[in-house]
Amino acid sequence: MATASKTPPGADPKQLERTGTVREIGSQAVWSLSSCKPGFGVDQLRDDNLETYWQSDGSQPHLVNIQFRRRTTVKMLCIYADYKSDESYTPSKISVRVGNNFHNLQEIRQLEMVEPSGWIHISLLNQRTNEPISTFMIQIAVLANHQNGRDTHMRQIKVYTPVEESSIGKFPRCTTVDFMMYRTIR
Amino acid sequence: MKFPTKIPNRKTKCKSAKTSNSSNLNESLDILRLDPSLSLPDARIPPYQRAAADSVMALLRDFGRGYQALCSYSCREAINILTSLPPQHYNTGWVLTHIGKAYFELAEYTQAERLFSEVRRIESYRVEGMEIYSTTLWHLQKDVALSALSKDLTDMDKNCPEAWCVAGNCFSLQREHDIAIKFFQRAIQVDPGFAYAYTLLGHEFVLTEELDRALACFRNAIRVNSRHYNAWYGLGMIYYKQEKFNLAEIHFKKALSINPQSSVLLCHIGVVQHALKKSDAALETLNRAIGIDPKNPLCKFHRASILFANDKYKAALQELEELKQIVPKESLVYFLIGKVTPKHLLPVCTGSQDQLHGKLSSSSSAISLANSRSCCSRSRRS
Repeated sequence: MATASKTPPGADPKQLERTGTVREIGSQAVWSLSSCKPGFGVDQLRDDNLETYWQSDGSQPHLVNIQFRRRTTVKMLCIYADYKSDESYTPSKISVRVGNNFHNLQEIRQLEMVEPSGWIHISLLNQRTNEPISTFMIQIAVLANHQNGRDTHMRQIKVYTPVEESSIGKFPRCTTVDFMMYRTIR
Repeated sequence: MKFPTKIPNRKTKCKSAKTSNSSNLNESLDILRLDPSLSLPDARIPPYQRAAADSVMALLRDFGRGYQALCSYSCREAINILTSLPPQHYNTGWVLTHIGKAYFELAEYTQAERLFSEVRRIESYRVEGMEIYSTTLWHLQKDVALSALSKDLTDMDKNCPEAWCVAGNCFSLQREHDIAIKFFQRAIQVDPGFAYAYTLLGHEFVLTEELDRALACFRNAIRVNSRHYNAWYGLGMIYYKQEKFNLAEIHFKKALSINPQSSVLLCHIGVVQHALKKSDAALETLNRAIGIDPKNPLCKFHRASILFANDKYKAALQELEELKQIVPKESLVYFLIGKVTPKHLLPVCTGSQDQLHGKLSSSSSAISLANSRSCCSRSRRS
């Protein structure tokens, strides 16, 4: 039942990883949640399994905090949500905030979703300069759910940083194997 | 079996032969080995035995010379010596692996791959040198062959570091660096004296931008084997990333002192020298690199870019045109041509706009080629 206003799912982030232009850095961060039902917490949010999920257990807004040890360049967030299985638990309005710590977070994105079922890509490029932002902390806030649901489900969250060229010199990525194999010694 | 381990085997055999007091080839071999001056009375050694012993010694000498040449990174010499061995010895795992390694050090990966796959065909149980084969496949980006090799080796022997290095390389090529790190750590765990595993782990840490841990890995590799030039290169690469160009140059040069024939290393030194504003030295280094390996496209590319940075547009353009013949499908080359051409033409031909347009359209078609490979958004920014 495809309605025109439905949020279309984005590509599987695994495919993006394979292109070598981005790298997942969620594992380097410290994750915390505003609330969770026991057994439905960070582990389920980060276990690479779309069957398991985080379920909040408290008052809105539901927050996911991602704190890095050092200032980290972040290009994109990917969130998996599935309206078909989560129904009123599916988030409909999400805000993304960045800052140095909990006290100086600033909202940089707010998006509304309609019955999402799949990966949602949230670009964190600076809208003026088109550069990836660099930050100590990211907070994802679920402001509202579908059908006025109270608690929320999120199945996966991935954080991507742009990959720096491993070769020498200030040039963009080369594209042929003939060229690439001389790039490095291994 | 590795070459040096053959000798003790023979020794034990000789001893048993001696005790049984029968004069056979083994005994005469033993005598020759103990006394290379051959001062024993000829009467004790029949001429046919002597000829046989001589030929064996000549063979061993060739093995030794080839191995020594490879260890001192005179790769061409090593290849020449080892390929001139008689066919029954040439077609063995040990010899082919070492020729493969020599081609690998010369950055002739397709040749290396050919030899290693032959090794796999005749001695599928061989693990020594397979880590080099896996890195060869990594460079050539042959993920299917690499994953097959990784499966075979890890199935065969879970206690050898080579198998885990191959598995790590396999995952590194798939850009699953976290898993690759685990495998390289396992390689170190099963054999803490295996220097290459430390180096590979270091490279993975560089890719995940954990530079401190990468530094520690490369230093460990050097601790285990101070002639392991790849680790010196890794250190230089980290300092380059941190823009400590002086330190980078020192480490690259240290690596070069171990492996003086590496055009890739020379190319890196050239780029670092350029970053240190020593452009003349950089061009000289790159010329040397191109002299060693005229087929290395990256050296020519960097020479062109340094010429471009020094406002020698004509020379840069000529360099790039030559490069276009070597790697016709590389968008980066066309990208640089696109950057050089307007600067080269603008001061000369203010009147002849047509010529400029012609050149520009060729380079813009190149950019569209680049665009189709999704690299243009990045290249335009830089």
